[in-house]
Amino acid sequence: MKQHDLLIVGAGLAGLRAAFEGITAGLSTAVITKVHPLRSHSCAAQGGVNAAINPQDNWEDHAFDTVKGADYIGDQDSIELMCSEAPQAVLDLDAMGAPFSREDDGSIAQRAFGGQNFPRTAYAADRTGHAMLHTLWEQAIKNGVHVYDEYYLMEITTAGEGADKRASGAIGMDIRSGELHQFNAKAVLVATGGFGRIFASNTNAMICTGDGIAAAMRAGAPAADLEMVQFHPTGLKSSGILISEGVRGEGAYLIGKDGKRFMDKYAPNKKELASRDVVSRSEMTEILNGNGVDGCVFLDVRHLGRDLILEKLPQIRQLSIDFEGVDPIDEPIPIKPTCHYTMGGIRTDKLGQSTELMGLFSAGEASCVSVHGANRLGANSLLETIVFGKITGKEMVRFIQEEGAKRPESSADDLAAQQQRIAAIKARPKQGHVRQEDIRRELTECMNENCSVFRDEKRLNLSLKAVEKAKKDYAKMYIDDKTDGFNTDLVTALELNSMIILAEGTVRAALERKESRGAHTREEFPDRDDDNWMVHITCHWDTKKQAVTLGRDPVRTVDNPRYVPQERKY
Amino acid sequence: MPTKATTKKAAAKKAPAKKPATKKVSAAPKKMQETTFRIKRGTVVNGVLQQKDQEFKVRFDEATTVLMGLEQVKGEQDGTLTFRRSCRASICGSCGMFINNRSRLACKTKITDIMQGNKDKNIAQAEDGVVEISPQLNQPVLKDLVVDIEPFYQKVRGITPYVQEGKEKDEEVNKASYEQVNMVSNCIMCGACYSDCTAMVENPNFIGPAALAKAYRFVADPREGKKTQRLKELSEKNGIWDCTRCGMCVDACPKDVAPMEAIVKLRGKAIDHGVTNNSGARHALSFKKDIASWGLLNEPFMMLRTKGLFGSLGQLGNAFNLFKKGKIPNPLPFDHKVKGLDEVKAIYKELEKNPISVETRAEDSGPGAG
Repeated sequence: MKQHDLLIVGAGLAGLRAAFEGITAGLSTAVITKVHPLRSHSCAAQGGVNAAINPQDNWEDHAFDTVKGADYIGDQDSIELMCSEAPQAVLDLDAMGAPFSREDDGSIAQRAFGGQNFPRTAYAADRTGHAMLHTLWEQAIKNGVHVYDEYYLMEITTAGEGADKRASGAIGMDIRSGELHQFNAKAVLVATGGFGRIFASNTNAMICTGDGIAAAMRAGAPAADLEMVQFHPTGLKSSGILISEGVRGEGAYLIGKDGKRFMDKYAPNKKELASRDVVSRSEMTEILNGNGVDGCVFLDVRHLGRDLILEKLPQIRQLSIDFEGVDPIDEPIPIKPTCHYTMGGIRTDKLGQSTELMGLFSAGEASCVSVHGANRLGANSLLETIVFGKITGKEMVRFIQEEGAKRPESSADDLAAQQQRIAAIKARPKQGHVRQEDIRRELTECMNENCSVFRDEKRLNLSLKAVEKAKKDYAKMYIDDKTDGFNTDLVTALELNSMIILAEGTVRAALERKESRGAHTREEFPDRDDDNWMVHITCHWDTKKQAVTLGRDPVRTVDNPRYVPQERKY
Repeated sequence: MPTKATTKKAAAKKAPAKKPATKKVSAAPKKMQETTFRIKRGTVVNGVLQQKDQEFKVRFDEATTVLMGLEQVKGEQDGTLTFRRSCRASICGSCGMFINNRSRLACKTKITDIMQGNKDKNIAQAEDGVVEISPQLNQPVLKDLVVDIEPFYQKVRGITPYVQEGKEKDEEVNKASYEQVNMVSNCIMCGACYSDCTAMVENPNFIGPAALAKAYRFVADPREGKKTQRLKELSEKNGIWDCTRCGMCVDACPKDVAPMEAIVKLRGKAIDHGVTNNSGARHALSFKKDIASWGLLNEPFMMLRTKGLFGSLGQLGNAFNLFKKGKIPNPLPFDHKVKGLDEVKAIYKELEKNPISVETRAEDSGPGAG
């Protein structure tokens, strides 16, 4: 058994930022991650990180933009915390060595992003997440964080019952050898990112399967806001690979088949820089009305000129050439709304601790501290990772020094259960069983078709059927690779289990929410219904039923007249 | 010279601002073709790697990448096929592998480019129409296309990969210095340069292109406090002077980092910072001195200056063999004068007055010979 004080699952920005707090507080801090830290999906974030650094800006405006962007179900205490801490969090990273782009006078450069009233997005060219991730990894090396590379999270373990129940660690599989290891810790952080892979067309890395959220749910910590899935307006047509909102921040147009801009119809003021849910719905409406080509519309940067494209958007141009065969200097880029970000996650309090499972914490996309509510603003995700990585890290240190000081016990039964789980999958022969790829394809395609930008009861019920079928098939799933060492066939099969749980939560919550708010649009309920739905829908894993059950959790508000819900116009 | 997409497209015309949706998208649905993947499979049995080629049929169209092909094989035909992958967008660095004679990212390499060749991307047409995939070089294979990345990262950790406090920290940062940092911080640690590095074949302890490029990032960073100390450490054995400047890393890098450029810049900075008490720097300075004085190299003297008397004695056998084969025309110095020596001296004089800045961007400077 491996013992640490802090156990962090996931080595992206949130995980490594929290690890920094743990290790510099002198605690034994370990990170387990299914890929090398630099492979974490944080590296793919292109555009930037919001912070009211400019003296002409202020964090209160940033908070207002975020509350409004979240369509009023973001938790206002968390949002105020995030926005007020944002400048310091960015300066921390700068001091650690992150190469943020500069203005001529040496100050940190900032650009405009969607849904905000001030250009407050700091960036490092168009590879901001990559630059920040490398910097935090450097800090992990400098400070001696124990990183278990290529360890897959099998389960989060708990000790005690009732009010005493708390997280006690995790079971991880060393992918290289296939060996299972038991980790025991006083506090566990889940920072495993989102689960966008449950949709066939997505901008996410293939590792974004929601393992941490699913494991937390199985351990008794509920998730929330799972129905709130952000469809990014500019995923590349063929692959879903992301073209950053920063491109629109630099002045790109969205045009239809007719070559004309269409966003002025939907958002007369902000146009292309309205918030993401608004832009994605507008694009889908254009496509459904016949102004698209082959299911997509176009992002046009030609008018920006070659020099600006080469200087400010080099990577975007390269992605477009490599993956779509289009040089944006000469041609508009074919794009469509593509699953990008999951606002929901493990339901936590303002400082990142699970609302129901003591000692379990979560930060970043895996969490639902709910700074994004029903729709996330661009460049608030990187911000969430570094602010709540830091704050939750500090809170875990406090927890370990105070009420969580006594080490919880880990049971050997937990390890044996996971060994049996793997043995059962490997034991199934091909004959009479189901191939994992077939389950994954059917589920993700159905989710894409029926649970995406526009939803209605009939189509959501089709998605629910697909989930039920996937659950049945999963019990009969076989894998080809029966070996122990580097068995990626097994890893993807285990990931599929997480995906099914999260797809079930997403569909059930989407059926439950009978209104349209933020990223969630029900065609039969086109209006926002503040009387009944200013609330988070929670998703619990019922171990007996082996199914997701729903609950409600109030939105945390603060007394501020600016946060009174209004109609969202951009 | 490395081929770079950015410079290749320099002549690209700016299209008129209002062009209706383009040919690319209005084209008829893409036709599926079929090709063969020949994959080097590998397993370690009792500590010994056993490898064999296996062929798979793969469907592809003009947008299909090698990674999509591998996923197709794994998903539909053989789940035991093992490789790393994650982002699909050439930013995470997971899927580095050896594809048709060079290390590439599987997610960035299109099957059509392999089948037809693509000069812009420096990809030669596959001779027998087969996509050949094997694991990266210079690293132990764990299974199929998966290599052990630990030695690579050990070397990265070895260069003290973080900004350090110290006396040489600039309080002011500016845009230009950040351009230097940015050039190399594009690196995604995919290992392509490390795999294809020829110096690594001869000396497995060589720190390698990626770690040295990372080191340059810190030497160039205005916030770094220990630049000279870094340059001293990097000038030691297995460091910057072990690079043979073959240019393979520049060609292999999928992110245009040009690690060799960074190494060359580190050499220049080391000498500028007075870090010359090592054989690499002495060799370079001696080279310069000979050319400036005589217009040609004097190998025996250069040897003496680089390795010292005792070091040179060890090379006597080697020198004798070279002499026998006529590779050392005349061991006696001062034998003859070079024509146009005055012009050579004038070039040096001019360079001393107006030195070439090493602070150039990668795109602007060629790899040089040697």
